[in-house]
Amino acid sequence: MAVTLDDERLDAMFAALADRTRRDIVARLSRGEATVKELAEPYGMSLQAVSQHIGVLERSGLVSRGRYRQTRPCRLEPEVLEAAVSWIEESRRAWAERMDRLEAHLVRLQDGEKR
Amino acid sequence: MSSDELVYRRVLRAPRDLVWQCLTEPAELAQFWGPRGMTTPLEGIVVELRAGGRFETLMVGDHGSHRMVATFTEVVPPERLAWIEAASGVHTTGTLTDVGDGGTEVVIHQRHVPEPMRAPEARAGFLTSLDKLEEHLARLTEPT
Repeated sequence: MAVTLDDERLDAMFAALADRTRRDIVARLSRGEATVKELAEPYGMSLQAVSQHIGVLERSGLVSRGRYRQTRPCRLEPEVLEAAVSWIEESRRAWAERMDRLEAHLVRLQDGEKR
Repeated sequence: MSSDELVYRRVLRAPRDLVWQCLTEPAELAQFWGPRGMTTPLEGIVVELRAGGRFETLMVGDHGSHRMVATFTEVVPPERLAWIEAASGVHTTGTLTDVGDGGTEVVIHQRHVPEPMRAPEARAGFLTSLDKLEEHLARLTEPT
């Protein structure tokens, strides 16, 4: 229910994932690392534009880049992605439970019982 | 692929007006709002039922308490209620639909609003058709 994760981190991540191209890049990186050039191939987009998307993903913590190879391949940071999923799962569970209680409360109300 | 949105649906066996009442009146909220193992005392609930009004609940448990501080962004009785929690940027919309036969479908739509959109000026844009809401609000009976 309470979002106790680092809010700034979550903000950056959700902002990063708000874009379709970046979600697509994340999906592709979930299958393994890739260079900017490889990532750019399927899009009718300049390397520079793709680099900017990757920059946003990097700042969100979702993607990191290798330091030691010239191509600096991009890779996904799965635990950061999990933070987003766990927020949603936590929230879903909280609402499911709240609706259970509301349901019970409505039964009481409609049976005319005194609370 | 993960998404940053949550949608939760439930059909409740109750007329829509009653469900709306439960979601908007402190005395009713106190009965079910708090998460498992926590209570939501009536005196800790603030409901200013209008766009821009406060929506606050204090949830108390054995291991501490949690205060939700939110602002209503949309109040359209008995159909739609939305609020945003300033601290976490979570925006929640509840939509109530009369499905007939004394049933009401509740759809909870929740998403995380990034920090830049939480600034007051951005929020003004976020609260679309405020003017229309004013009309609705004028017809509202004052919640007590």
